[in-house]
Amino acid sequence: MSHHKLEVKNLSFTYPDGHKAINEMSFIIHHGESVGIVGENGAGKSTLLLLLMGVLFPSQGEVMVGDVHVTKKTLPLIRQRLGMVFQDPDDQLFMTTVYDDVAFGPRNYRLDEKEVENRVMQSLDMVGISHLKDRAPYKLSGGEKRAAAIATVLSMQPDVLIMDEPTSSLDPKSRRRVMELLKGFEHTKIITSHDLDMVFEICKRTIVIKAGKIAADGLTSEILADEELMDACGLEVPLALQSCPVCGSKKKNI
Amino acid sequence: MSSISNSLYNIEHLDDLARKETFVHKLHPLVKLIVTLAFLTMVASFGRYEIERLLPLFLYPVIIITLAELPIAPIFKRLLIVEPFIIGIGILNPFFEKKTFVLAGLTLSTGWITFLSIFIKSGLTVASVLLLVATTGMDRLAAALRMLRIPRLFVLQLLLTYRYISVLMEEAERMLRAYALRSPLQKGIHISDWGSFAGQLVLRTFDRAQRVYRAMCVRGFTGEYNTGEHIKFKMADILYLVGWLLFFVVTRMYNIPMLIGTLFTGVIK
Repeated sequence: MSHHKLEVKNLSFTYPDGHKAINEMSFIIHHGESVGIVGENGAGKSTLLLLLMGVLFPSQGEVMVGDVHVTKKTLPLIRQRLGMVFQDPDDQLFMTTVYDDVAFGPRNYRLDEKEVENRVMQSLDMVGISHLKDRAPYKLSGGEKRAAAIATVLSMQPDVLIMDEPTSSLDPKSRRRVMELLKGFEHTKIITSHDLDMVFEICKRTIVIKAGKIAADGLTSEILADEELMDACGLEVPLALQSCPVCGSKKKNI
Repeated sequence: MSSISNSLYNIEHLDDLARKETFVHKLHPLVKLIVTLAFLTMVASFGRYEIERLLPLFLYPVIIITLAELPIAPIFKRLLIVEPFIIGIGILNPFFEKKTFVLAGLTLSTGWITFLSIFIKSGLTVASVLLLVATTGMDRLAAALRMLRIPRLFVLQLLLTYRYISVLMEEAERMLRAYALRSPLQKGIHISDWGSFAGQLVLRTFDRAQRVYRAMCVRGFTGEYNTGEHIKFKMADILYLVGWLLFFVVTRMYNIPMLIGTLFTGVIK
């Protein structure tokens, strides 16, 4: 479906202090794809996400969601289609209860309160925290906060989910839970992360960014296994693809 | 360090209280706002020597606390926080006022009466506003203000300030913790570090506030804060409003303590 594609054309962005964070980037993400965006610290991942969401506007080039350009005028439409989960759930959760927080987005779109309730309960069910709906967000554990932050975005029923480091600072079990959750979503997914094992499991396609430019774009299984490329971009081959630290045997399923 | 996290907890505690579901909590926020405003006007309307006429008004906080099943200690503690300022305002009255009166053989300045009146009035007004927040919550209170056609900008300002207080305090607490752990030999922050500490705090808060604001924008925030509730006026709301207004009018028109007094002394005679 063409209206679900996300296209970045010749995108550049320079911060007011002169730092060029994104440098002539172009790619297309199609409906239903799950794409990992990886790169070392300061490579421009977060800036790219903010540009996609229309929080920042490019100094050159454009972002298109379907056939719509991301401009100030089209923002309400864009933001209904793209849902972004921030890296720190504390930035995202600011209402007094989880319920109100998840309802914040739908209410901003002036939905009927019945519909808002449906959506809130549905989103909370999807992430498995409906029992926490009346709790205060700041009292939740890290994993629960993350789930709540994801629910706040799901309630807007976006076509595309954009996530900044969805598994950062989670314990292994919570991380696994979030990963299973992400795998279950049929949305188009764009995930930035340093958790390359997570990217390896969830994303079919990976875009590697280096100093604001695309260093590689292709199948995750090929890109993340390319030791030379990973090394040149300040990354490492995912642990799952590395030799066993005990017996030294190579993994077979590469 | 602990005092900051304590006060953070305290702020959030009011929100917790506001989530209870008692009779008072379920009332329409606008009704509660109007009753509070009426109460404030009423307290302020009595002259500075009329302390005995303020006494019946104590019923208001007592009844609200009871009906709303609020714990007394946290409300009282917050009252104590303002008292030093009140005492600061009123403490000079006994020295400046020349008139005197005699109580149990002691000749005292009437300044003591005005001081006491300031003390009682401030206690009553601050308590009533605290009770309003603790039974209504900031969100619904803002909705009520909007219903009164207070401009959107002001209401938003109020809500976001309230929201960002905790953001600011969280940042301050983190910085203090990091500071304290690396300076075990001193208490508090050394004066030479105040500048950079305050500057850091401002910058960090800007940063944090911007991230929170972005997260709001991304979810379609356009400046209107929707609490989603369109509560209708119920019979209980109207009764509550009329009941309190009637009580206020009666205490304003009749000197109830005096009436009760004469009733008793009359009976004794």
